[in-house]
Amino acid sequence: MHERLSFFVKRDSALHHLNPLTKIVLALSIILVSIFSPWYWTSHGLLLVVIVPLVFIGKVANEYFTSALRLILPAAGFIFFMQAFFQPIGQTVIFNFWFLDITQESLLFAFRIATRITVMISAFTLFLLTTHPSELMSDLTRRGLPPQFAYVIISTLQILPQMQAKAQTIIAAQRSRGLDTESTFFKRIGSVVPLVSPLVFGSLVEVEERAIAIEARGFTSKKAKTSLYEISDRSSDKFIRWGLVILVIISIVLKLWLS
Amino acid sequence: MKIEINDLRFTYPTGLEALQGISLTIESGEQVAIVGQNGAGKTTLVRHFNGLLQPTAGSVLIGDWDTKITSVAKLASRVGYVFQNPDEQLFSKDVGTEVKFGPRNLGYSKDKTDELVKRALTLTELSDKTETNPYDLSPTWRKMVALASVISMDTPIVIFDEPTTGQDALSIARIAHVIAELRREGKTVVTITHDIDFCAENFERVIALSEGRILLDGVAANIFGQDEVLAQTYVDPPQLTRLGKKLGFKETVRNQEEFLTSLRGTSDSE
Repeated sequence: MHERLSFFVKRDSALHHLNPLTKIVLALSIILVSIFSPWYWTSHGLLLVVIVPLVFIGKVANEYFTSALRLILPAAGFIFFMQAFFQPIGQTVIFNFWFLDITQESLLFAFRIATRITVMISAFTLFLLTTHPSELMSDLTRRGLPPQFAYVIISTLQILPQMQAKAQTIIAAQRSRGLDTESTFFKRIGSVVPLVSPLVFGSLVEVEERAIAIEARGFTSKKAKTSLYEISDRSSDKFIRWGLVILVIISIVLKLWLS
Repeated sequence: MKIEINDLRFTYPTGLEALQGISLTIESGEQVAIVGQNGAGKTTLVRHFNGLLQPTAGSVLIGDWDTKITSVAKLASRVGYVFQNPDEQLFSKDVGTEVKFGPRNLGYSKDKTDELVKRALTLTELSDKTETNPYDLSPTWRKMVALASVISMDTPIVIFDEPTTGQDALSIARIAHVIAELRREGKTVVTITHDIDFCAENFERVIALSEGRILLDGVAANIFGQDEVLAQTYVDPPQLTRLGKKLGFKETVRNQEEFLTSLRGTSDSE
């Protein structure tokens, strides 16, 4: 009933059909290339030529641009201004405010850093939008990730919305008993215990029940497990992954060679 | 105290239309059971009674208070609401303090509070457990603590959300006793229940909800007679009612007493 805490958007696209590992490798490669590439315009190019088309291929344009407006733009903008003002490089002063100088060099540097940040967040946003968390975890477990680790990640994603719903019920129950949660500060302080203790206690009980429930289904069994979902890993996936790894290596080599 | 609901509509933020125009009057001192399938809107409806939910359209009046302009904390003095899961409200280190929480919030004097707490504890048979930590009690007794902690608020209207779920026969009898006592005191009791036998034995008026609308509303005997309509909201009449119908009784019977009377009546006439 409760939504999982995830960005995943269910669509039918080429990107969605890629193996989750391929998508992680894709996101990481984009980030690494944007960091290591020796050329100034690489990050900007990656954003326009790789990420934006991928967003459309993945059919998540609406969701991506919404999150870009809400999250990426403010973060990148903040970094841009901080870098532009406080980066003590360059001589060509363009703008001066009190003791802060904006030079042509610091401006260019800030623009590069801000774009790089945008590329990093975008690559991961794209990955999260097109990959279901449990699909990712079952694929990684299949490849040897300890199931305990996968459980910690997945259960956190599940428990948070559940706790939120539980907290809502507790608030409703205590308000029905005349608990004032809306008036003065001191009254609100007093209302913390009736709200928090059932939540903490209930969550502890739930954790224990959950542990028993999954153990009853053989969670710690050493035998090889089967999976309900088959996650595709085609030869094209392998091809893409190796291609990306080579691209990253090339950009590192170029960086070392040219500098 | 009277509850007046006028063309109540409620839509959840998700777009789900949980209530689609409900008009209803519950008179002071009435005992009403609300039945219906899961998702019929039962809990959504009663959460409007104490302002936890605000109508999307229409109005809910508790006595002369409109729930739209009255705070939940204030409505708590008129409407007591026992939630389904006691673990989602118990927090005190002992039963006595827990039961005292409600009346203290309502600002009653110390003497009145003590008296109300004592009465609630006696009614729920918890008098010997005042010092116990609620979490050391069994779930059945925790339910009684939750009941006591709302009854102690001495509200003219008391709502129970599925009071008998997961309770044994003894505990159900205890809950029935509490409801009977509240009736004797002239309080209005509204109960959501899936336990149709409990409903038949303790309530005069039954309201069946289905998909956000009132399907049936009336005297229990009449409601249970209409098994085809009830089937729409996945409610089966009580076993004795069905047996009585199969035996060809003229009257719809609800409980053992009525069943036996009808049975004797039929055999006498033969």
